[in-house]
Amino acid sequence: MTTTLKIDQLNYRKNLKKILADVSLSLTGNKIVGLLGENGAGKTTLMRLIAGVAKNASGTIAINDETNVAARKSLISYSNPLGGIATNKRISEVKQFYVAVYPDFDEQKYDQMISFLKLDESQRLSALSKGTREKLVISLTLARQASVYLLDEPFGGIDSMSRKKIINSIIQWKPADSLMIISDHYVSEIAPILDEIVVIKDNTVVVHKAADAIREESGQSIEDYYESLYGEADSND
Amino acid sequence: MEFDDKVPIYYQIKTVIYDQIIAGQLAPGDKLPAVRQLAVSLTVNVNTVQRALREMIDEGVIISRRGRGNFVTEDTEIVEQLKQELINRYLKQLYDQLHRLKISDSEIIDELTAYIERQGDSNDNNAEN
Repeated sequence: MTTTLKIDQLNYRKNLKKILADVSLSLTGNKIVGLLGENGAGKTTLMRLIAGVAKNASGTIAINDETNVAARKSLISYSNPLGGIATNKRISEVKQFYVAVYPDFDEQKYDQMISFLKLDESQRLSALSKGTREKLVISLTLARQASVYLLDEPFGGIDSMSRKKIINSIIQWKPADSLMIISDHYVSEIAPILDEIVVIKDNTVVVHKAADAIREESGQSIEDYYESLYGEADSND
Repeated sequence: MEFDDKVPIYYQIKTVIYDQIIAGQLAPGDKLPAVRQLAVSLTVNVNTVQRALREMIDEGVIISRRGRGNFVTEDTEIVEQLKQELINRYLKQLYDQLHRLKISDSEIIDELTAYIERQGDSNDNNAEN
């Protein structure tokens, strides 16, 4: 089945501050979409709203025509930074927690991923490096059988070897009929695996384009194109 | 592998596979790896591999057999044509660049001949078929 995410006229304020204004976006099909924008542009907020973790926005968010938050949550796997789990827990205990909480958690798939990523299940969360922690988050997120996967900055501050391994896991284990959104403020490392990019700037979506169409039309790399959105003054007209 | 992010990725995937066919690493009738396997080994998106495959199938170089996979065509004429196109493309690049530097045609021929001679016998290239 084709997955569809449809956002219509989404507005969100926090403490009277406008975070997202008039965001409309429609994503269809088994794609990997890059959600780009500067730090603080609202990428995480948008993901939290899609995931149903953040509330009280006006406008609608529908996944496969489902707008109800509880129903939507069951279709989404959102990369959780493990904030709610005590740091003295071992990786094996985190897995048990996921198995208990999520009926769609695929243990076999999870085991394949952690062996590919060489995670040691006896390690405690507090002992994990940033890269290892991110590998665990990716494994937990992808092990759920969902229609939509939301990965919030999975490459923040990790070394290039870990990054490559994580990108490889995404290609191998993203279910064929799912939609995946990956947020990042640094695009070049993930550009080859993106079908489309969405750029958030000035509180709203300013670009939604196919990655290869950008390369084809502008002859620019995705990174250069993205940066040109910020430095219009320098470009020739 | 490393891609040039200024060029559509599907196009670069085609180039990689066509290069392998022309170089004989993929022989006529050989089966291509599965789509996801290709995506993993090239570190690209599955959809992009599929788009590249669709174009190669449209161009007749790859034959898709339902339920069995994708195969390199056994029509050697198509492969020969592909080779010719590639040679022309690289020669055009070289020619255009040298021409831009105001190097004359005869100079280009002389330089190229001298270069090939310098490369010498170390390369065992088959100049004819």
